[in-house]
Amino acid sequence: MLEYQTQGFNGYAVKYSPFFDSRIAVASSANFGLVGNGRLYILGLTANGIQPEKWFDTQDSLYDTAWSEVHENQIVVACGDGSVKLFDISLDQYPIQSWQEHNREVYSVSWNLVSKDTFSSSSWDGTIKVWSPHRPQSILTLPTHSCTYSSAFSPHSQSILSSVSSDSHLRIFDLRTPPSASNHLVHLIPIHGGPPVPGMASRQSFQPSECLTHDWNKYRPNIIATAGVDTIIRTFDIRNPKAGPVAQLYGHEYAVRKLAWSPHLSDLLLSASYDMTCRVWTDGTSSTPGASGGAGREIGRLNRHTEFVTGVDWCLFGSEGWCASVSWDKRVLVWDARAVMGR
Amino acid sequence: MALPGERLSTVLGHLNPMKATGRESLLKKNPDDIVITLAVRTPLTKARKGGLKDTSLDDLLITLLTAIRERSNIDPALIEDVCVGNVLAVGQTYIARSAVIAAGFPVTTAASICNRFCSSGLLAVQNIANQIISGSIDVGLAVGAESMSGTPDDGAPNMSAKIINHPVASQNTQPMGQTSENVAAQFNISRHAMDAFAASSFQKAEKAQKAGWLADEIVPLNVQWKDPKTGEVSTKIVDRDDGIRYGTTAESLGKIRAAFPQWSPSATTGGNASQITDGAAGLLLMKRSRAEALGQPIVGKFCGATVSGLEPRIMGIGPTLAIPKILEKTGLSSSDVDVFEINEAFASMGVYCVEKLGLDPAKVNPRGGAIALGHPLGCTGARQVVTALSELRRQDKRIAVTSMCVGTGMGMAGVFVSEH
Repeated sequence: MLEYQTQGFNGYAVKYSPFFDSRIAVASSANFGLVGNGRLYILGLTANGIQPEKWFDTQDSLYDTAWSEVHENQIVVACGDGSVKLFDISLDQYPIQSWQEHNREVYSVSWNLVSKDTFSSSSWDGTIKVWSPHRPQSILTLPTHSCTYSSAFSPHSQSILSSVSSDSHLRIFDLRTPPSASNHLVHLIPIHGGPPVPGMASRQSFQPSECLTHDWNKYRPNIIATAGVDTIIRTFDIRNPKAGPVAQLYGHEYAVRKLAWSPHLSDLLLSASYDMTCRVWTDGTSSTPGASGGAGREIGRLNRHTEFVTGVDWCLFGSEGWCASVSWDKRVLVWDARAVMGR
Repeated sequence: MALPGERLSTVLGHLNPMKATGRESLLKKNPDDIVITLAVRTPLTKARKGGLKDTSLDDLLITLLTAIRERSNIDPALIEDVCVGNVLAVGQTYIARSAVIAAGFPVTTAASICNRFCSSGLLAVQNIANQIISGSIDVGLAVGAESMSGTPDDGAPNMSAKIINHPVASQNTQPMGQTSENVAAQFNISRHAMDAFAASSFQKAEKAQKAGWLADEIVPLNVQWKDPKTGEVSTKIVDRDDGIRYGTTAESLGKIRAAFPQWSPSATTGGNASQITDGAAGLLLMKRSRAEALGQPIVGKFCGATVSGLEPRIMGIGPTLAIPKILEKTGLSSSDVDVFEINEAFASMGVYCVEKLGLDPAKVNPRGGAIALGHPLGCTGARQVVTALSELRRQDKRIAVTSMCVGTGMGMAGVFVSEH
């Protein structure tokens, strides 16, 4: 396990570079993101541990970051002052572009993994915006009418975008549909709805609660995992939006802040929570030949953080299992999930 | 951008989801919210004297339901159930279903009656909302209606000896007037305080009517009316409440003689009690997601209702139990509430409720209440929601609590948010 201290800044998000296996970016904020500056760290993983390559300071807190999929040196950040900023890490100090359109804190940014020429942002102001790095204004604004903690492009289609928000709903937008009254919205899935029970007319359902994070499965184009304040991780199959969750994973003791599907194994999921743990889960659909499927369950846990864990990401390269986590304890940990599994 | 405190509250909300109630969370919009897309009422007119005196309950319902069908512009086939709050009518279940069909709804639109005395209108709203929440129906209509011209309130029937000999259950044989005197006696509500409360109701209603605020609530009705002198029947448009006596003061009310000299302290009079009145009100309810899909305008949101019981002999103070209960369930404090609509069955309970709950009198019944407007029993619960939403719209405020005492010793209360 490698460790780096983000002195004076509490971590909010971590992302591996899609171009270099030895580079990660960390979005962080002074004073727990409540008031004060933000800092974007570019860190190198070296034989001598984690070394800072560069950092960029911003006027307000940073809550998320996403690497460009086309340009190895470009990276966007979600900023507390409502701005979305694009940095070129070959330069020093200032962003090369700053878009000020959101009216409140921006909570997520996500690059389009297919067309690679656009990215999305989502905000407390109840909107998702789609941007091109080359344009001075956003291309599109999608309303959600509630604080949207997370938005993401599908890794399988350049025109499908999803979001989760404080209204306890998962939204799927298809930008190929005509805008019309529904603003490209094709599915509105209540996350708190329970799965149907055979023979029962009504289904179990939960109190609506704020949903904080979601991620698209990298191998199964219709599967999305969501999690948030009610501590339950759920997976949904968007081909059957009315069916309720496919899997429900119980274990976290406090709200789940971040989810990431493994880039290597289709059933493996990593979570970060306010309960100070990172947990590794299988959703019960093991792709390993001979392995028993069975119910989704927790298969490993990292207990090393000492504050809320806010971000996790998997390394795309090398041997499967390497990942990074950030926390309000001002530490970045780079670790091997296989070392905590199977206990 | 948000202040540090607001950012901190979002994080605290993630950690303590149970505490995520209160004004802020109530004002959030969720696709699963039960919203009101239309809220209207008929004028309230004096029983046996006013414009609706010759309109029977079925005609009253047909007229209101037709107006709702036309105003809402919704495909009537989408309305799956109509719940009618009504207290007194004989054969009410026949009337409700027949009136729905006669008002131009298809045979697929069902109907039912609900009755919990003065809270029936609010109970109808709760019933329809619960059906939508549980997925039984998608769109429903909640109505409260009462024709007191045609159906007098005869009080309790003859009941079993086990009730008559029961110390509490037997209190249900007491007429409502007696319960008002019981409240005045037990809580030392003076005649003067009651007259002042009643006069204020008249004055607020007078101001509201003269300013035209009430027109926002009312659908004018075209009804048959029989001239009491000539006996001639004509068609007439009824478009305003007729119970509001202009220029009423506490002094003028002080001259009215006691209505119930047989029960001490005999502080209740015809001037400080609710009037006997005809009227109806209706609200169209559905989920927010449904309203948005249908392009229906959202005027408000139903956030819950509750009920509580108490000794029947002091039934009037029911709101002092029901209001704190619903505030607790919704995580509101009374300072979060912008408008309280509390049914003025009698001034004695009105004075007591405002004092006991420590309410700002300016927030209570800002357009007057049943003392000035009248109290058509089954209608009132729905009528108060219509009034509250209209008043919130006018004041550009958000949250209303509506409550009423209920004969046989209960109180009901509900919370509504205006989304004007």
